[in-house]
Amino acid sequence: METEVVTKRSGIRIVLIILILLICSFIIYFSVMSAMAPARKLEIIKNELNSKHNDQNSIDNKILTDSAYSKLLKEKSFLQSRIVMAESDSIYLIIDLSDSSANLEISGIVVHAAKISDIKASKILLKGDESVIYSRLATPFKISGSTGTIKRDPILVKMAPKDTSEYIPDTPPDTSLNEPVNYILETTDGTRIYVYQEENEKRSDQMSQFVFDTKDKVQNAISSLKSVIAFKVPDYHLFIKIKIPRADAKIIYRALPKTGQVAVFW
Amino acid sequence: MENDEIINDGLQPKIKKSAVETVPPDSENLIEKPDEKNGFSWIWKSLLIIVSTIIIFIFLLIFVIYFVPGFQEIYSGKTTKVSDSTDIRKDASYKKQTGLITKDIQRLSRKYATYTSGQTYIVINTTLNRFFLYSNKKLIREGSCSTGSYKRLLTAGGKSWTFKTPRGKFSITGKRTNPAWHKPDWAFIEEGIPVPPKDSPLRWEANVLGDYAMDLQDSYMIHGTIYKRLLGMAVTHGCVRLNDADLEVVYTTLNIGSKVFIF
Repeated sequence: METEVVTKRSGIRIVLIILILLICSFIIYFSVMSAMAPARKLEIIKNELNSKHNDQNSIDNKILTDSAYSKLLKEKSFLQSRIVMAESDSIYLIIDLSDSSANLEISGIVVHAAKISDIKASKILLKGDESVIYSRLATPFKISGSTGTIKRDPILVKMAPKDTSEYIPDTPPDTSLNEPVNYILETTDGTRIYVYQEENEKRSDQMSQFVFDTKDKVQNAISSLKSVIAFKVPDYHLFIKIKIPRADAKIIYRALPKTGQVAVFW
Repeated sequence: MENDEIINDGLQPKIKKSAVETVPPDSENLIEKPDEKNGFSWIWKSLLIIVSTIIIFIFLLIFVIYFVPGFQEIYSGKTTKVSDSTDIRKDASYKKQTGLITKDIQRLSRKYATYTSGQTYIVINTTLNRFFLYSNKKLIREGSCSTGSYKRLLTAGGKSWTFKTPRGKFSITGKRTNPAWHKPDWAFIEEGIPVPPKDSPLRWEANVLGDYAMDLQDSYMIHGTIYKRLLGMAVTHGCVRLNDADLEVVYTTLNIGSKVFIF
């Protein structure tokens, strides 16, 4: 009896050790694969740019690293982006990280300006190869989808009365600005622009932001897990996170068309 | 130690004997005690396994959700070291490249300036229900307005209208004084009134659009209102309503062809 119990216990121990080892190796595998994702993304961006701008390769790398030339390149990229967008009749967003502003424009006219209070971005964008980044920024981002804590079009459905006896006059809408405003603009190249409301003192606002962020992180983790299980390097999404006043965040979200354009200036 | 053993040796048989003799056969307390202990330890062990599994699961979740994205931000690729070296600026190829790029910037700036040249236009913010009137790039008037209510009117027959102010770039296509409103179908349906024929005089209503009206595309207008207390609210069927004083300034400032930017 005793030997049976001992073998059972050692069996359980072995199973536990194997399980822990498996979990640990999966964690390491998952971490390594995820850490490889940004490098892969940068490689994709570089390849795309090289195929588009072969002439840039001829420019001496030393010139590209010069601060004055870099500044000129930046200015040119930004102007190119703005012109592309100004030529359309629709509303677009210009995020200027150098002067912390987020402006809505139509045909080159600034129709609304917001002050950015906090900026976070992918390390690739902040500290990476500047020439690659500037070339990337010369083309505006095209919005492919969005998710947010508010509705883009807050449509209220009302059934038409059958006759005058059923008619009820409309009541004025609630114009208070209380709902938390946080959203993500997804672009066609996979870059994500996160816009958060600046006001975060209320517990309801903090909770809403936490839930919104966690949902996004869980979705990212699920898609990464799926890729890793299929022995693929997960997709890495470049991101820009900005904080602006709630009212401005709401205005920008409601104003931007579903397939609108965004230009980012460093 | 030896004494203890002797004492124990002497007591043990006695206790066992008395226990067998005194405890009734239906009471099995003493016999079941070891099993109960096993039961308790089994519960504790199970609880421990469950709790540790939950802890491992939570750790894994936190790791995957919060830590792994952090690892991704360790990599930044090839960092460009921006230099201020004067040597390179003396180089002929450098001068050629900067000359080319400066020309490009000048060309692009000229092109961009054509979009923002001095003109008279009005900007309408549908979220805050405010308007901004500009002339020669200067703000000359701002105030409250009313824009689309975002209501969707549905009929039993399946027809629907969405009362939303369109966004984008528009222009003034017509200007009218003392305008009368030609009521569309929804104006009757909304109140439960039978819809009259298109040419019926019942469709015309005077003194509801203020003193002036400026036409935009697709029957949308900028006009006055009799519901002044609702200015600053999203209550209209898509048109932009202004108060009398603002309407007059806007009417006199904007011409046919003037731009209207709605967002």
